[in-house]
Amino acid sequence: MHTEHTIETSAERQNRHKAMEAIAVLNSLKEDFKSPIRSMGYFYDLFEKVYCNHQPLHEGKAKIGTMCIQIPSEIIYALDAVPIRLCNGFYTDDEIGGDLLPQKSCPLVKATVGLFASDNFSDKPDITFSPTTCDQKTKAGAIIESLGHSIIDVGFPRTKESEESRHYWRESVKSFAVKLSKFQGKKLTRSNLESAIKKVGYAQSLYHKLTEFRKNKAVPILGVDMFLVTNAFFFDKIDEWISAVEKLVSELEQRASEGINVAGKASPRIVYTGSPPIFPNYKIPLIIEQSDAIIVADETCSSNRMFNDMVAVDEWNLYDMIDSVSDKYLKACTCPIFTQNDDRIRRIIQLVRSYSGDGVIYQAFAGCQVYEMEQRSVLAAMEREGIPILYIESDYSPSQHGQLTTRVEAFIESLKNRKRMKK
Amino acid sequence: MTKNKFSLRRAVNNMNLVRFRFWFQIVAFALIVYGGYIGLDLGDKLPTFACVFNGEGTGGKCYVGELQHDLKSTFDTLAGYAGYAFLISLGMFAVWFWVLNKGWCGFVCPLGTMQDWLTMLREKTKIRYSEYSWANRGKIKSIKYILLILLLLLPVMIANSVFGLPKLPNGLSMPFCDICPGRMMIPAFTGDFNQFYIDFSSKTDIVMTTIGMIMTGLFLVGSFIKKRFFCYFCPMAALQYVFSKPALLKLYKDGSKCTKCGDCYRACDMDILEIADDVTSKNLVTEDCTLCLKCVAACPEDGCLEANFAGLTIFESTKEGFLVRMAMDQNKENHAH
Repeated sequence: MHTEHTIETSAERQNRHKAMEAIAVLNSLKEDFKSPIRSMGYFYDLFEKVYCNHQPLHEGKAKIGTMCIQIPSEIIYALDAVPIRLCNGFYTDDEIGGDLLPQKSCPLVKATVGLFASDNFSDKPDITFSPTTCDQKTKAGAIIESLGHSIIDVGFPRTKESEESRHYWRESVKSFAVKLSKFQGKKLTRSNLESAIKKVGYAQSLYHKLTEFRKNKAVPILGVDMFLVTNAFFFDKIDEWISAVEKLVSELEQRASEGINVAGKASPRIVYTGSPPIFPNYKIPLIIEQSDAIIVADETCSSNRMFNDMVAVDEWNLYDMIDSVSDKYLKACTCPIFTQNDDRIRRIIQLVRSYSGDGVIYQAFAGCQVYEMEQRSVLAAMEREGIPILYIESDYSPSQHGQLTTRVEAFIESLKNRKRMKK
Repeated sequence: MTKNKFSLRRAVNNMNLVRFRFWFQIVAFALIVYGGYIGLDLGDKLPTFACVFNGEGTGGKCYVGELQHDLKSTFDTLAGYAGYAFLISLGMFAVWFWVLNKGWCGFVCPLGTMQDWLTMLREKTKIRYSEYSWANRGKIKSIKYILLILLLLLPVMIANSVFGLPKLPNGLSMPFCDICPGRMMIPAFTGDFNQFYIDFSSKTDIVMTTIGMIMTGLFLVGSFIKKRFFCYFCPMAALQYVFSKPALLKLYKDGSKCTKCGDCYRACDMDILEIADDVTSKNLVTEDCTLCLKCVAACPEDGCLEANFAGLTIFESTKEGFLVRMAMDQNKENHAH
């Protein structure tokens, strides 16, 4: 018998490691919890297809890479391209990027740069637009460019109250639209932008429908499943995402009427905030929900912040649509890169109130400076409001699991006690 | 979830405000401008521009005209019966005003309606609207008060010598009417174009009627490029605002529900920043507000903004209403484009 001995290439090794990371999380989502949701199958399969089997989704389409949440997907769809958000959650890529960035950088940025460095995409972006949000994302652009990728910075202001910021950002978005329009050789028109705005708006409205169910006493969907659904919007075909979520909504309606609860009766209800959990880095959300708590709402840019605010147009002409699109990405944003961020605090409080949250878990990536810096003000505000909060620092590494679990469990235990005392 | 329940409240909150307001304004315009032909007379204390120069057509008369007339008396008579008459008139004006508050501007005022029509015309021609810079927006706020003080003061100065100054010429007896674009525009709708003239009978008249012509030109051009251009300078709005606090119709905001997304500010024809940025006040009827309620219709947060009549919520912002109005509630997958 003749056996061929081949040496695994670095790309193959990377894919294998990533598949291992991905499947571990997917299996945990599928198997560790009671009352699984049938229509979540679409999303489990999607992530398996893309991250375990490395299958491309958008062959034949122009793929526009985006960073953060400020690059208007409405304009990308209007110009007949597909936005792919490249914020990355893989530890494998984090390690690759670690060689190119300072040691104490944010794992999300390291992983994103790492993926570019490996140039091993299942759907490789043809061009990438990067908003100048936090320092690390801003500086990462040039590093990615030096690796031979085409990346265009889109100037984003770091205050949102001022008139100058509003104008600056509107101009940035216009120039982004012009560049993309040239790249695509297609004109942005009133009708293609209007349908794109309405389609993205409809997708957002579905997210809002999903979140409504989480206000119920018996919560029919896990927080980790919600993170997966919103995460899929980063790269999925929008029409397929829409029909999958429509099915999910109707299944949840059914489950809600039957009173199905994915958590226990006394499970504390958690509002999750901080650095974004991006697949497969669901470390903290999984620990929370495996420790008998349920995430009922979140304030993160991989989920709520990406969907919460829709474009509001006053005059359906191109001039006003572009301005409305710009304003949506600036004014409503609660990203901690802004100088002042009372809005974020008010949003967290509002989420706790409307989703009957028992406590807040605030996770910051070690090296994610802006979230680390906002920790004090958020903690102080929660104390004022009498809302228990746990602050955790973590990264993408698989270590520290035990220690993190202990802290989360202790917090959840104390929330349970608090609930009991109240009764 | 209240999803499948039909309720009047839900229907109202989901309404197409633009269409509702369009038809409401047409009816109000008809009553104010043509009401006289069917015998409608709402009196001469109306807190809106029902123009006295509109002869038989007018369904009532504007209080600002009456106010200037009331004040053209000597101090002696003002201290006596003319003063009482003035106070009674003012009181009646206030009572009318309290019913709709600034809603008179957003829903009834024929000059406001004309401006909205010009805005629609501009929108059809796909010309972008203009905006004031925030600094200038702040500065021009005081102009309406200056106009108000002048229109109060000038008639008094015709009948009296104030601070030893000589009495003003009689040509200034209706100073604001002279320069109000309503004097020309409103009668024009009943086929009377006689107000488009320059009066050469005295120097004062030449100056005032010329300013009037210029104002009308500015009104037409200005409100074509800037939404509600004239309302920024309206002395009626200034006078109304003095009485706004006890009015029945209110615009309330629950700041805890506000995300400061600024959708309301985008919709606001008067570019009122407070509507988006003020998260502590409850009553958001500010001096320039016209209570058009476009902000309520544009707000995507449940119960953040509401129109309230005498303690009763009559129209409030809802997520669902927002989605319906933006046509984002259904997937309109048409490849017609």
